[in-house]
Amino acid sequence: MESLVISKENFPEIINTIIKSYRLFAPTEENGFSGFNIIKDYSEMDLSYLNSRMPPKAILFNQTETLFLMKPGAKGSIKPKEIRNEKTAIFAIRPCDAKGFRILDPVFLGNYVDPLYKANRDNSVLIGLSCNQPDSSCFCTSFGDSPASGKYVDILFTDIEEKYLVEVMTEKGKGFVNDFSRFFSPASPNQIEAKNAKEEEAIKLIKRNLKVEGIEEKMDKMFDHPIWEEYAKKCIGCGTCTYLCPTCHCFDMQDESTLDKGARVRTWDACMFPEYTMHASGHNPRPARMHRVRNRFYHKYSYYPKNSGVIACTGCGRCIRYCPVNIDIIELMNRVSEMEL
Amino acid sequence: MVDQKMLVEVAKETLAREDVKYIIGYKKGSYGFQTSAAFAYTPKDVEEFIFTPLCNKNLAKYPLKEEKLPLKRGEEEDKRKIGLVVKGCDSRAIVQIIQENGMKREDVVLIGIPCPGVINQKEIEKRFPNQSEITDINEINDEYVFTVEGKEHKIPKQELLAEVCKTCEYPNPVLYDVMIGEEVEVNPKAEYEGIKDLEEAPLENRWEYWEEQFQRCIRCYACREACPLCYCSTCMADLLEPQWIRRSVNLSENTAWNIMRAFHLAGRCISCGACENACPMDIPLMELNKKLGKEVKEMFEYTPGLDIDAKPLLGSFNPDDPEEFIK
Amino acid sequence: MEDFEPNIIGFLCNWCSYAGADLAGTSRIQYSHNVKIIRVMCSGRVNPMFVINALQQGADGVLIGGCHPGDCHYQHGNYLARRRISVMKKLLEFMGINPERIKMTWVSAAEGRKFAEVVDEVTAEIRKLGPNTKIRRKNEW
Repeated sequence: MESLVISKENFPEIINTIIKSYRLFAPTEENGFSGFNIIKDYSEMDLSYLNSRMPPKAILFNQTETLFLMKPGAKGSIKPKEIRNEKTAIFAIRPCDAKGFRILDPVFLGNYVDPLYKANRDNSVLIGLSCNQPDSSCFCTSFGDSPASGKYVDILFTDIEEKYLVEVMTEKGKGFVNDFSRFFSPASPNQIEAKNAKEEEAIKLIKRNLKVEGIEEKMDKMFDHPIWEEYAKKCIGCGTCTYLCPTCHCFDMQDESTLDKGARVRTWDACMFPEYTMHASGHNPRPARMHRVRNRFYHKYSYYPKNSGVIACTGCGRCIRYCPVNIDIIELMNRVSEMEL
Repeated sequence: MVDQKMLVEVAKETLAREDVKYIIGYKKGSYGFQTSAAFAYTPKDVEEFIFTPLCNKNLAKYPLKEEKLPLKRGEEEDKRKIGLVVKGCDSRAIVQIIQENGMKREDVVLIGIPCPGVINQKEIEKRFPNQSEITDINEINDEYVFTVEGKEHKIPKQELLAEVCKTCEYPNPVLYDVMIGEEVEVNPKAEYEGIKDLEEAPLENRWEYWEEQFQRCIRCYACREACPLCYCSTCMADLLEPQWIRRSVNLSENTAWNIMRAFHLAGRCISCGACENACPMDIPLMELNKKLGKEVKEMFEYTPGLDIDAKPLLGSFNPDDPEEFIK
Repeated sequence: MEDFEPNIIGFLCNWCSYAGADLAGTSRIQYSHNVKIIRVMCSGRVNPMFVINALQQGADGVLIGGCHPGDCHYQHGNYLARRRISVMKKLLEFMGINPERIKMTWVSAAEGRKFAEVVDEVTAEIRKLGPNTKIRRKNEW
């Protein structure tokens, strides 16, 4: 790992230089909240943000994605969607959201490789920005991560007042930094120290903690526990938690067509909707909301870790913050943790 | 302020009735300024009941959300009533549902609470984003008083009051079995002030405005699920055959969805604001609902959710309805 | 705008307006060919979402035809349609979609001439409004 610094005076310039050769996604503020958008100039960027409302997973795993195009009839044809290899940089992604990609990777790059996701992933550089002001629903520290963790990004920026400390984490990141090397200078030990201090300060701001030790084994024994029913009663069954989650990756595929052309389209789906599991026969293996709510928590804290070795939750807190009925994954999982069976 | 002791007492009495299954009320939330729905089966559960200015969720959603799984052999359906704590708007939602035959009057026992108005959740969380401790808020002399990180805040009521409450005409329950405390005074205010600017804007500007709003809809259907009056067993939006709106998330489909949602609430919306509260993308859905409420009032002299014996607006007619647009 | 030929979907009720259109045809009355007719049993059958769906799928205007008030084959289907469409028009207007794209008419089975006139008039008006772009599906994948 290499530590560099960039001064804040040079900062607009580097961003504007990156824009010339990359499709640059950065947080912008619109309608009172933040979101990742392609920017054309440094001035559009807004770094005063806590986190984007929609997770940046939407950049690499689009909510609506065309898989292939078709033409009907005797001379009908199927044409796979052209993969566009666009050089992309995602700037100021938070460590928690970057970890989201670590969780999407085994799904889309595992036994079956999804060419669209792979192209997007290979072509993008994740440039993180440490989170100096976590809020009341953040809990990334519960998973051994930190608001200033560079584990899942290619390059990590940290605001250390007069400068940004830049940590180069991967080969891809190194290549990127080398392209723009004139903007960077090596970091002094003091500056590295300043980052560590910032990190500690940020960690202190995280007040809520989800107790993860032994939760997987615990959940093995709790499938029929009434606690799921208790939370499902409150749940109204909307898709907010799943659509805003940086790790949720379920999708639906549908054919859309007009008379002379059509396409197969992949869209996000949410396990909170009854249609998600509905069979063509009309049978639904998860008939009640309890089954669906339980599945969401089991998927994140039991099934996924069993399959891929990591809990499918990054502690970004979006599902807690935006749940219309106050279903709080920290509260629920802590109750599970503390339960005596 | 609502007497919490009395609320708990009344709820206990109601729960003790033989024909009551459980009571739905409010309890403290899990953090910050949240409150949560509470399902009380035992007197001990009822002890948790609260009513504070943070109780801004519409509980009228829940009786119809109750899922009835197929009965096992020899099992009998539990036909007992559900108790429900209702504010003015919640009670209107119940009236509207009963009017539409969505449920029967005898299915519910209503504990009415005269509502002094509730807080705009998004606004208070925006002002105090770091508040993770569960916070109590009291309303004293038109001010909300609460403590954040050891510091007492007094904020004028109007600053934090939910938009829908500012123009609420029916803060007192219109239908109830027991009422807790005295009726609150109604401050009649220009209810449709909020949409006036948009109404007067040129057509193209209105479209620009809504285009921007609908563009960011993610179709999570939180608006539908939070709405006490969206209780169809299968929503048109979920049908595949015929597929009314495609699953693709783009402007055309999003607009169609939002037209569908708003239109299906025409003459039914009781202005509780649950849809807008639930929307994770902050789309001003109440503006659509308010506009339709206003038009319905002007064209047909109809206000939804007041009379359980009235006929639903779009299921009835008057031969003299306006028809200047017909050729 | 002169050479723009609008696409108009007409939902006509089986008992009056459709029969009126039929009469216009058998009487060999010349009128605009822009209205594509879908026969429904009653104007009350027209779910306002039909209208939205038509606009989505490329219609520039929609014409709904029913029996004259009081003449509905099903007693009051047309009254119900009238209420629904008037509310839908208000909603569209507020959203910035020109409500004039939705037209409604009462045409009886004997009014072949009126039907032809209404279609001509509606076509002219929609032509003036130009193509509908606002909620139309792009169908680009």
